[in-house]
Amino acid sequence: MAVSTEPILEVRNLTKTYVNEGKSITVLDNISFQVPKQFLAVVGPSGCGKSTMLRIMDGLDRPTSGEVLFHGQPVTSPNRKIGVIFQTFALVPWKTVLGNVEMAVAYSATSKAEQLKTAKKYVQDVGLEGFETSYPKELSGGMKQRVGIARALALEPEVLLMDEPFSSLDALTAETLRREVLDIWTDQAYPTNAVIMVTHNVQEAVYMADRVLVLSGRPAKIVDDVRIELARPRSQRDPGLYDYADRIVSKIT
Amino acid sequence: MKADSRESTPSLARLRRPIFDRVRLPPTVLLLSLVGFLGVPMVSGRFMSAVLSGGPTPPIPVLALLTLTRMTLAYFLSLAFALIYGITTAMNHRTSHVLLPLLDIFQSVPVLAFLPAVFIFFITKFPRGVGEEFASIILIFTAMVWAPTFGVIAGVNAIPQDIKEASRAYGVKGLSYLRQIVLPAVYPELVWSSLLAWGGGWYLIPVEENFSYGGTGYPLHGLGNYIATAAANRDLASSLFGLGVLVTIIIAIDELVWRPLGNRAEKYKYESVAAPQAGGARRRSRVSANVRKYEERLVSPLVSFFKYERASLSSILEAVHLKRRFHVSDRVHLQDRLARHALLGRIISLIIALTLIVVSIPTLRGIQIGSLGGALQTIETNVGYLTLALDTGASLLRIFTAYIIALGWTLGAGILIARSERVSKLLIPVFDVGQSIPGTALFPIIILLIVNSLKDSAIGLNLASILLLLAGMQWYLLFNIVGAIRGLPTDLLEASSAYGIKGRRFVKEILVPASYPAILIGSIQAWGGGWNGTIVSEYITDPNNPTGPHKVPGLGALLQSASNYTDLYASTVVIIAAVLLMTITVLTINRLVWRRLLRKAEKYKLEA
Repeated sequence: MAVSTEPILEVRNLTKTYVNEGKSITVLDNISFQVPKQFLAVVGPSGCGKSTMLRIMDGLDRPTSGEVLFHGQPVTSPNRKIGVIFQTFALVPWKTVLGNVEMAVAYSATSKAEQLKTAKKYVQDVGLEGFETSYPKELSGGMKQRVGIARALALEPEVLLMDEPFSSLDALTAETLRREVLDIWTDQAYPTNAVIMVTHNVQEAVYMADRVLVLSGRPAKIVDDVRIELARPRSQRDPGLYDYADRIVSKIT
Repeated sequence: MKADSRESTPSLARLRRPIFDRVRLPPTVLLLSLVGFLGVPMVSGRFMSAVLSGGPTPPIPVLALLTLTRMTLAYFLSLAFALIYGITTAMNHRTSHVLLPLLDIFQSVPVLAFLPAVFIFFITKFPRGVGEEFASIILIFTAMVWAPTFGVIAGVNAIPQDIKEASRAYGVKGLSYLRQIVLPAVYPELVWSSLLAWGGGWYLIPVEENFSYGGTGYPLHGLGNYIATAAANRDLASSLFGLGVLVTIIIAIDELVWRPLGNRAEKYKYESVAAPQAGGARRRSRVSANVRKYEERLVSPLVSFFKYERASLSSILEAVHLKRRFHVSDRVHLQDRLARHALLGRIISLIIALTLIVVSIPTLRGIQIGSLGGALQTIETNVGYLTLALDTGASLLRIFTAYIIALGWTLGAGILIARSERVSKLLIPVFDVGQSIPGTALFPIIILLIVNSLKDSAIGLNLASILLLLAGMQWYLLFNIVGAIRGLPTDLLEASSAYGIKGRRFVKEILVPASYPAILIGSIQAWGGGWNGTIVSEYITDPNNPTGPHKVPGLGALLQSASNYTDLYASTVVIIAAVLLMTITVLTINRLVWRRLLRKAEKYKLEA
């Protein structure tokens, strides 16, 4: 397999400390890892700082020390080569479905007509054709997250960051969307080279990822780095998944 | 990947922080100085003779005490009214059909419009000195009572369905239900709305302590009178000093009474209104949904107003109200069936309100109106229909001008506050003190500064009038806008930042739309304040002015002039005409402009 191992994103000695009423709380403690072309899942107990780490990786938050490198360049502010999908969807309520997706396209500076075309394409790709002029509040949770996904994809990002993307959805919807995201990930037509997904759902991590980073509770440290050597497409009922899941769960608890 | 993106997009941590992290005077120092300030002269005992003899002006601490006593008495009256009317309305579904819309109408009528009639009634029926006191307390009451009443209604309606069912299951009913369930539920709302009530009361203080009628002044000893007298004597230093004392007392009461009470009240809050969800909502009666509809329209704007205005409200209160406001599903569901009832209730309440106005004013003055034709004839000869229309137009135009100025600067300030931490730290304490100053207390000072330097020119007077209106309008807009911008959810800010929405685009696509509902709510409140302001800003008595009172044409000036007519019949009829005209204009604008815009603003509401 001629998979490139050159890191796209690199996290170096990342530490994040909050000062609250004179007390300092360290949430991330000296975390380092590299992300080549792969689907990486980061799991850990709730409140361990996974989401904070993801935010730092997009430049939405800043580390106390350490740095994040994107192709060797430090990330200090949001970058148009990196897309984010939020747990709470983060759609602008007064923009239509198309408007929310265009929001990202406008970032990647092209002509107006082209922007509209790109936005429309991605709205269709996530199966929202016919809902272009709907407002977020008229959509179900699953449809809202599809808009979130379309928005991220429309950026045609090299790296896709996903913050608990399926945990606000009901089980069935989450299942469908997981498969769709995997389809997109495996589709060579999409330019995304690395996906980093933060989740507390171990089963989901193992099912979707090539590699799972396991973080400990606060302050978060990397306690395991597991390669999921299962062929794609995977089945949710693959017994191999359970072996991996058991191993990871034992590390967390 | 531009380096400046951090500066141009708001830092999330900053926007999450409590609104007012200002440097505050240690409350103890404030309390001690207040006690010393009021207590020492009281002990000395000299003040009583000064007050009772009605002779020379008592010292400032006594004036402060007198003003404070008036406020406190009026407040307890308001409290009693709020509890009785509020609980009756919220718990008796049949009467709430009419009681709620009635409350809505009276709340939109500029309270100050009743000032002349009420005052004249009391000073003619009671001995000199007593009548003024009664009148002033009643008037402060009318300014205070609305917020607590809506607060009580909101509190009763916030009792979750499961709690009601549990009470029924365990046999908690009657008085014990009232004591164990209703009063605790009402308590937090009552405390926070009391803060608003006091704000409304302070606004009236400078006016009612300075009433004049038929060329005679009926001054009441108090801080408001002190400021006005000093200003009338061209004594800027004293009037500013009086203003300083007034503002200190206002801030001290907010900080030492309401805020601690409010913080303690939070434990009475129901954590979540998610409880009466679909199932519970369906079991509610239609009328109680009607009550809730009013509450969404009237109470939550009030609540969100003081929430933003007065800071430090816990997130619980916020969550409760946001959820309730956004919990639209059952409202939509019931809307069709409700429409008819609500309309009928509205018509009945409108008739009651207008009748009350038409009946109460002549009764207060002991006048028989007689035939409608005769009344109209009197209006025609004393004022003229054209003048009436022009006056309405002039008042409207002045309010509109002040509104545009207020909207412009507050929106700008809101955006600045959202985007620069430094500016925000600088401005917010200034605004906080600024909004504590009752607009009316500024009037004599503005008059002193502007009218006297520009003389009685039309420009000077109109400018002063617009400035005075501005003082009574701008804070509603400012604090609603700042509140909305601060209330932007983190994920939305992060998404904007992640997808490169910054600078101008951030303002245009995120900040302004996010503030839109708040701008509308603030506008409704500001226009309410504006109408109230017309009455005091268009006609200002100035004993040292040889040409009489300063006035500009308008409904407020008409109302004030009419109260000085020597012909009592004409005076009464013209006052009624002015009050009715004002009420109808306010209600029409509310219906045609604000409610329509609010309905259209639905999509700008952030989901809970």
